[in-house]
Amino acid sequence: MFSYALRRILSMLPSMIIVSLLVFMFVHLIPGDPAQILLGDMATEEQVASLRENLGLDRPLYVQYFKWAGGLLRGQMGNSIFFQKPVLSVIADRAETSLLLAGLTLTWILLIGIPVGYLSATRYGTKLDQTISAVSMTFASIPTFWLGLSLMTLFAVTLKWFPSSGFPSVFKEGGSWKNVIYLILPSVTLAAPNSALIIRLTRASMLDVFKEDYVRTARAKGLKEFAVNMKHVFRNSLNAIVSALGFTFAALVSGTVVTETVFSLPGVGRLVVDSVLRRDYPVIQGIILTIALLYMGINLVVDIAYGMLDPRIRYD
Amino acid sequence: MKRAIRITAFLVMALIAVGALSAQTMLRYATIAEPPSLDQQVLTSDQATTIAQHIFEGLYTFNKSYDPVPMLVDKESISADGKTVDLTLRQGVKFHNGKEMTSADVLSSLNRWGVYGTRGPVLFANIEKVEAPSKYAIRIVFKNAFAPWKALLAFINGGPVIYPKEIADVAGKSPITEAQYIGTGPYKFVERNPGRYIELAKFADYSARSDAPDGYAGKRSAMFDKIRFIPVSDVGTRVNGVKAGDYDYAEQISGDLYDMLSSDSSVVTLVNEGVIQPLMFFNSKEGPLVGNYKLRQAILASLDMTGALQAAVGPKSLWSTNGAIMPQATSWYTTAGTELYNKKNAALARTMAAEAGYKGEKITFMVSSAYKIHNDIGLVFTKNMKDAGFNVDLQIYDWATLVSKRGDPKQWHIFFTHHGFVPDPVLYSFMSDAYPGWWATPEKQALAQVFTSTVDEKKRLASWAEFQKLIFAQIPVIKIGDVFTYDVYSPKVKGLGETQLIWPKFWNVSFK
Repeated sequence: MFSYALRRILSMLPSMIIVSLLVFMFVHLIPGDPAQILLGDMATEEQVASLRENLGLDRPLYVQYFKWAGGLLRGQMGNSIFFQKPVLSVIADRAETSLLLAGLTLTWILLIGIPVGYLSATRYGTKLDQTISAVSMTFASIPTFWLGLSLMTLFAVTLKWFPSSGFPSVFKEGGSWKNVIYLILPSVTLAAPNSALIIRLTRASMLDVFKEDYVRTARAKGLKEFAVNMKHVFRNSLNAIVSALGFTFAALVSGTVVTETVFSLPGVGRLVVDSVLRRDYPVIQGIILTIALLYMGINLVVDIAYGMLDPRIRYD
Repeated sequence: MKRAIRITAFLVMALIAVGALSAQTMLRYATIAEPPSLDQQVLTSDQATTIAQHIFEGLYTFNKSYDPVPMLVDKESISADGKTVDLTLRQGVKFHNGKEMTSADVLSSLNRWGVYGTRGPVLFANIEKVEAPSKYAIRIVFKNAFAPWKALLAFINGGPVIYPKEIADVAGKSPITEAQYIGTGPYKFVERNPGRYIELAKFADYSARSDAPDGYAGKRSAMFDKIRFIPVSDVGTRVNGVKAGDYDYAEQISGDLYDMLSSDSSVVTLVNEGVIQPLMFFNSKEGPLVGNYKLRQAILASLDMTGALQAAVGPKSLWSTNGAIMPQATSWYTTAGTELYNKKNAALARTMAAEAGYKGEKITFMVSSAYKIHNDIGLVFTKNMKDAGFNVDLQIYDWATLVSKRGDPKQWHIFFTHHGFVPDPVLYSFMSDAYPGWWATPEKQALAQVFTSTVDEKKRLASWAEFQKLIFAQIPVIKIGDVFTYDVYSPKVKGLGETQLIWPKFWNVSFK
């Protein structure tokens, strides 16, 4: 298992080099000038040119790329043009929000999605199953911005149970874990459609396994229904669920722009969009590289989990 | 027993300390976006100015009537020919680093602004020399009398705020860094937490003017211990945040919520009298509109300003179909030359275009989707122009792309933008020959020379009327109207007055 993981990590290197090249090229192909955006509408051409020179943006693209790639090898991603801070510290600051939000959302999904999906599958065809299907389809269809604003209006503005928006750091500014209360409404907003999808997936996967011969054999052996469902049906349907959960987590970390905007959360998703609009090249490059790394990492974890869940899968 | 007394005393003191801490007042301001930097000399971002005006001060500022009046200056003396200005600085004004401000700081700051400041070169092109004859004296010698000098010194946005000499001397072309945010204002910079907030704290050693508050001028008192500017991009979230008590003030609320919020007792609405002016710029370097003033006038005649503003802004109380360049509330207001404004007459436009020799050439019209009013007005105008027979190619881009493309005269014929309120017409972007559109006709340059060198106030107003007539004759730019933004705040905030000026300010403001 260890040598497999090592091989996979090494195989990521060429992928990362290709990603870094593509990201750098595409970012610099977009029309727009960070120096002009920084200085504003009234800056003269000379002032913009002067700042471009200061930022090193007047150099040939290949020189800029090698300078940036050289920095990556030393563990540096350059400085944000907009924030005038190291890209790593900007991303790390936003990653706190995104990781905590994704973690909390995943907790709701695990607590709601899997048990309800299990219930729906084991009560297949009953009124309970039909109700769960209808409710989950409704939640999967609700636009997140509408759900977020509705939850905010009810629980923050009217009842004042939760803060309406923002997220003070847990680790900085004298923060504490109590600040996680700021993430309750956003995580519920994100969990609603994602739980619905996991409910549907759990149900569908389990229904597929129900048809397998070994399930019929287990029942014929006289095993109790709960034991059949848990040991033989649920466990064998976990591969698809784990895979979906892995990519849901990655998507939650990197792409929850709407929810982050509605709840004014300083997360990675908004940083990507804002940086593109500001043409903050070093931040865009840094984030996309980090997200690519995250997806590759999660892919590896999911693959390793397959082996742990299904004894038939062996990597060595 | 003694131990018990000591413990009791300690607990009481701790409680008092905790009480004092919790009694700290902090205003939480929800901003529409976060600024790239707070360097006021270099940047013209309104978000930056809203924050930075609490930290930095200039030699002059504007009073409620938008007249430039002294801020860091104590006295001024102007020579009879208007070419030499002697300024005496206020004494005892402290920077946030504890150092006293002197003429050396002012000289360095003005020199940096004159080279790298956004609006500095406009003034410095007319300056022969600036010197510091003594510790509290500054002398500016102009090549010729230059009337708008005081307005340029007073306009803090891209303006000459005063930094300590050691910062201004090394600052150069890049915006100054956070460690260098040291000014003389009533609040000092504490920290920036990207994406979360920018925090200011009361400056205990602030040296306030003694004259009564008047607009941005007069006595400034920091009444809050801290102010936090928090970026909240979604307008619904800003409003809900004030209602929920998470923010005390939220800026730039959308027009469609105005009637509802005006009658909502949980918030107070505050209209900003510093209008926003949507503008269409015409290309004077390339394409069918170069030098064809009749064709430009035909386009103006086709436009429905009322419909466009109604669609883009909403409630009538938040916009005005004022074709004059300067708002009605200012002494600069004149209707000279505005006859073709808001004609919305497709037939007239068609006739005028035919007379101008227009044969259906493509007119590329660039609009940004980043601003709702740009996008909405752009759509209405495209229909107006097409109805009048113009072959319009509407191109919608994000702001960065539009700004990049407009620098190339081959890529567009008309582009859409907006201008913030300026107290003196000399501050308008189109006054610069280098601003995209590149309006630099001999007639403009001759009138601009008269306008800037006339010191007499009445003659300047008359000269501006002539200038506006020229704008309507040559149409380098079309002003769509005046748009009033508005903000909302918690009823517990007091001292904000009936309206805001250009940028919301929070000195002399407190909680009830």
